[in-house]
Amino acid sequence: MDDIDAMFSDLLGEMDLLTQSLGEETPPPASLPSSNQEVNFSIGFTDLNESLNELEDNDLDALMADLVADLNATEEKLAAEIQGLKEPSLPASDLPPPPPKGLSTHPSSSPSPMRSSSSSSSSDVSTPASSATSPLPPPQSTKPSKEEIEAQMKADKIKLALEKLKEAKVKKLVVKVLMNDGSSKTLMVDERQTVREVLDNLFEKTHCDCNVDWSLCETNPELQLERAFEDHENLVEPLLAWTRDSENKVLFKERQEKYEVFKNPQNFYLWKKDKKALKDIKDKDKELLIQENFCGTSIIVPDLEGVLYLKEDGKKSWKQRLFQLRASGIYYVPKGKTKSSRDLVCFVQFDNVNVYYGQDFRSKYKAPTDFCFVLKHPQIQKESQYIKYLCCDDARAMNLWVTGIRIAKYGVSLYDNFKTAEKKAAVSAVWTNRSTPSSSNASTPSPTIKAKSPSQANGHASSPQPGPLSQNVGNTLPPPPPPCEILPPPPPDPVPSPPPPPPLAAKNLARPPNLTNRHLPTNFPPPPAMDNLPPPPPPPPMDDSPEAPPDFLPPPPPAAGFGSLPPPPPPVSSLPPPPPARFGGIDQSLPPPPPDPEYLPPPPPPVFTGSGAPPPPPPPPPPPPAPAPVAAPRAAVRPSGSLKKVPPPPPKRTTPPLHGGGGGGGGGGGDFMSELMLAMQKKRGDH
Amino acid sequence: MSSLSCSMAAWDLSVTVVDLGPDAPPVTLSVTSDLHVGGVILKLVEKTQIKRDWSDHALWWEQKQKWLLRTAWTLEKYEIHADARLLFIPQHKPLRLGLPNGITLRLLASFSSPVFQTVMGICRMLNIRHPEELSLLRPVEEKKKKKDKDSAEEIYDLTEVPLSSASRPCLYNGMPAHFADSPQMEAIYKMLSITQPPPAPEVIAKQYRPASVVDKAHINGRWLDSSRCLMQQGIQENDRVWLRFKYFAFYDIEPKYDVVRLAQLYEQARWAILLEDIDCTEEEMMLFGALQYHISKVSQSEPQLMSTSAAMDDLDSALQSLEVKLEGESSSASEMLENMTAPELNDYLKIFRPKRLTLKGYKQYWFKFQDTSISYFKSKEESIGEPIQQINLKGCEVAPDVNVTASKFLIRLLIPAPEGMNEVYLRCENEQQYAQWMAGCRLASKGKSLADNSFQSEIQSIRSFLAMQKTNAGSHGNAHAADESINTHSLVSPRYHKKYKAKQLTPRILDAYQNVAQLSLTDAVMRFLQIWQALPDFGLSYVVVRFKGSRKDEVLGIAPNRLIRIDLGVGDVVKTWRYNNMKQWNVNWDIRQVAIEFEGNINIAFSCVTADCKIVHEFIGGYIFMSTRSREKSDTLNEELFHKLTGGHEAL
Repeated sequence: MDDIDAMFSDLLGEMDLLTQSLGEETPPPASLPSSNQEVNFSIGFTDLNESLNELEDNDLDALMADLVADLNATEEKLAAEIQGLKEPSLPASDLPPPPPKGLSTHPSSSPSPMRSSSSSSSSDVSTPASSATSPLPPPQSTKPSKEEIEAQMKADKIKLALEKLKEAKVKKLVVKVLMNDGSSKTLMVDERQTVREVLDNLFEKTHCDCNVDWSLCETNPELQLERAFEDHENLVEPLLAWTRDSENKVLFKERQEKYEVFKNPQNFYLWKKDKKALKDIKDKDKELLIQENFCGTSIIVPDLEGVLYLKEDGKKSWKQRLFQLRASGIYYVPKGKTKSSRDLVCFVQFDNVNVYYGQDFRSKYKAPTDFCFVLKHPQIQKESQYIKYLCCDDARAMNLWVTGIRIAKYGVSLYDNFKTAEKKAAVSAVWTNRSTPSSSNASTPSPTIKAKSPSQANGHASSPQPGPLSQNVGNTLPPPPPPCEILPPPPPDPVPSPPPPPPLAAKNLARPPNLTNRHLPTNFPPPPAMDNLPPPPPPPPMDDSPEAPPDFLPPPPPAAGFGSLPPPPPPVSSLPPPPPARFGGIDQSLPPPPPDPEYLPPPPPPVFTGSGAPPPPPPPPPPPPAPAPVAAPRAAVRPSGSLKKVPPPPPKRTTPPLHGGGGGGGGGGGDFMSELMLAMQKKRGDH
Repeated sequence: MSSLSCSMAAWDLSVTVVDLGPDAPPVTLSVTSDLHVGGVILKLVEKTQIKRDWSDHALWWEQKQKWLLRTAWTLEKYEIHADARLLFIPQHKPLRLGLPNGITLRLLASFSSPVFQTVMGICRMLNIRHPEELSLLRPVEEKKKKKDKDSAEEIYDLTEVPLSSASRPCLYNGMPAHFADSPQMEAIYKMLSITQPPPAPEVIAKQYRPASVVDKAHINGRWLDSSRCLMQQGIQENDRVWLRFKYFAFYDIEPKYDVVRLAQLYEQARWAILLEDIDCTEEEMMLFGALQYHISKVSQSEPQLMSTSAAMDDLDSALQSLEVKLEGESSSASEMLENMTAPELNDYLKIFRPKRLTLKGYKQYWFKFQDTSISYFKSKEESIGEPIQQINLKGCEVAPDVNVTASKFLIRLLIPAPEGMNEVYLRCENEQQYAQWMAGCRLASKGKSLADNSFQSEIQSIRSFLAMQKTNAGSHGNAHAADESINTHSLVSPRYHKKYKAKQLTPRILDAYQNVAQLSLTDAVMRFLQIWQALPDFGLSYVVVRFKGSRKDEVLGIAPNRLIRIDLGVGDVVKTWRYNNMKQWNVNWDIRQVAIEFEGNINIAFSCVTADCKIVHEFIGGYIFMSTRSREKSDTLNEELFHKLTGGHEAL
């Protein structure tokens, strides 16, 4: 405990420093510092400063809130990490107390490595930083066991310092995402974040229906290409391939073809059959197809074969060839040869290329039709002989090929992505359903999730993953995005305001989760039982899930604020206490990726979805949610979402805030932070 | 006595007891028709006056080709009269069993139970799970050589293994107890569970290769009938049969328990590729070659695969997971330091950029390889300053251009840039330098730095491939140099022996090899199987058939999930029917015609040309049986259902 406290005080110190530095830097106009900024960091803007100024006020606020949440997350992460460090080391060395003791006895020493790394935050300091820490331990070397403790401590510290350094190397981008309606949202994306995580983040910000079709796409206007990122990809990497003057955009939109193969596998695997037969196919046959092709030892690629037009290298003409798709690549049948496998000539293999939809190639390249797709290395951004242009007779053929290529390239990841997306959609569909009366969202429960969702929901509830989750708890909970009004947000006592987009919500209500999680890392092991529940302390997952709602009611109340319902007293009163234990307990019953939302509805999903998702579900089975029936869903979704967003971007850097000129590896985040702050203050000043 | 109490007349039954010797006359017993078979055997044994264990013996009725296994049945019920020629013989007899890996075992197999059960017994002895996927095949006759030197073929004897009926053999040291008895037995188990080294190219070349779909169809006429016993199918003691995977629906593969199963499956797949039993493209063939090379290399270096006991296994895995945990949560600080102070390569190399300069020529610079980038400087002395150019290799394509005998060591790089791919050649002076830089380039192209722990092994594998090229280049007639070198012709089908020289093949296989070099043995075997299973023709068993109303022969392809009709002339798939749309199928045993009804009033009927219709019937029923397997009941094999689905009229 002590050590954690020590850790916290360190962090607080750091945060203070951060705020100070911000304060100091306030005077200079925001435009100055950013001029030497690496262009890298703002995609879609030529220059960071410009980018910040270009932002809408509320965008800026939202971004800021995110960033601050990031900081909090890092802090939590650190705390959790320390915890993590301790745990394995305990069994390993037979000295139970070493790390805690070490940390608590030398409170001053532990910050130093961190400071050193954070203040100088450049990526090259690794060795110096660690050597600097070495002198620290010797103070009292009485017993050998003590020495061991010291050694252990030292090692831990070095490790910590190094981890922070690594952390400092993490690249981050500010990404402007264009919405369907022409507006845009600006996000900070971490190198390690997957597209799925970013999508979840956007779901939260946009209150869309979260169906599986939502995608992030990149467009390349110069080549007239568009491609949806796959959910498992990291977003930053492909964006880094864009050139400085790139006009590429990131779009957030629904793309029906994204997971079409899992909704209607027959259209891809039985494409030769006549259309009517395909339409009339039974659900169980669809499932069988998925089973056969995606759940076996080997992923089976649809056997596509057909004549496509190929744009000849450097020429304007398009030539027909008979192409065949195989798991190992695209092949064509050379002139005068048979179709037998051994005669096929390899046209392209998929290791180094991505597949893109071409747009309006008829006018751009005189293509025979507008149904074109392109294979190219992701780094290639301009016209080149290394880009392969193919043209199909119709849209159906094009989708067959593009989807087939994606299956061949991504294999089982594609299916895993779909399952994750489907779960996400199922959960939010339930919530949107429940909230339909009051919600203003265009919430169309996706028709795609039907028979499957119940079983999945069950699967969730019963798959406890304590290990990773406990870690998650630390990461997850902190983020309830702290206020934007309060600029220097020292994490310990945030005056939380509602998450960015929605209007005002009851502020104090956002707090409980925050507070609880604060303590979480320290005492999550054996929790104190809850007061309002029967003795059986940490009930098994199944028991847990029905009870989950009450826990999450704390969040709902905020919504109650804008609804006309007074915050139902009973739940609220029981809320503040929700002992951390319960969070832990609940978490454990959930799988990591989309942790929170799942258990909100756990009981309902089987019921609703089983009977068909669309109709507004009757009074939800679990009694707890009853108190705030209308408001709860919406509110609950949001907090859960905000919780969720965080688990992915695990460790954020704490270093940047301290004007840490991010050295080579792509630090600079620090500058960015302070700049952002500046920009905000400036804006504020203008008002 | 019983004969006295009944009023039936006694008559003489003569039984040949084989154990008395070939020339011994039949034993004659005086019996009545109401005597049950058990009584006959009792009398018989008494009369021979030989004391031994007769429990495995039973009566075989030669004229009717049938065992009298129901000891409670009377002679009358069996309709046995004085003219019956009965043999008193053991039910289990030695059989020479050819395995997928080409090795022949001699073991005791049941000649009296349906082949399905016989295979179960064999698989139990060999520790192969899911015996329902395998069956026995009459071997393809080998062309008799003038010199019968092949008869000296080594046969591994397992006839001493006691017959057990336990459904699961108890394991000892990770193998069935009977293999742990002696070092010889242990060696046999090793043979079963470790993949064989690549065959010599000549061996591949002289094996029978199907040249057409029709050839491939012929092999399927050789499957034994699962519902009848070996004796009934004319298999004699010491005859040779093949054990093969018949149904290509491999259920629940678990490397931990399926050591032998996986090894044999791999061997069957490998030979299917090498003998072009299944078609693949050249690129795929190179990858299969690379995997074979890797598998043979790794299996030589980790032969202790199954030598640990179950308890040790658990301990090991526990330790391993602990290790992983520790690594994941807190890799040691020094390790992390190491990762952060990445090693570099520094050397003089020559570079050539074909696009940039029209002048062909390599220029020498001082090169530095750091992280995933190459930088070059005018000279070593100037390497502190700004490089002339820095090239990040992440995502680039790396290809070798090497001729060892000519001392040509080129690395061809295709480096992606916004404008396209830039071609760059690096020229190394010698093998050593080449191996290092090549390894670095390969890792960097995958985004890994030199600090990656696969760096050293990458260097090693590049060098061993270079060595291969060397021996290939000069090996004609020479003594085979290093024993670890492999002729690349051993890894591909004979078609490529003609198309490429071994040394031309080497770089191509090496190229494919870089993607698999880091796989563990099990992963590599699994990858091989996955790629095999992903081939378009995978799992198809062909039979030449004549569709009702058609005047020409066509080919029916039977796959795990569907039937396909193939036009013999063009080789195109004409029609596909999936089993899940099948309503029923029938066999008219009199006219030997298979009739199938699918949903939507689709009826097809055909007679079989290259195989008995029982074989086709069994294939279809067998695949349907395979699809009924589920995890809950995977422990017990539903034999009855199998026979119901595959047995035809004899099942009842």
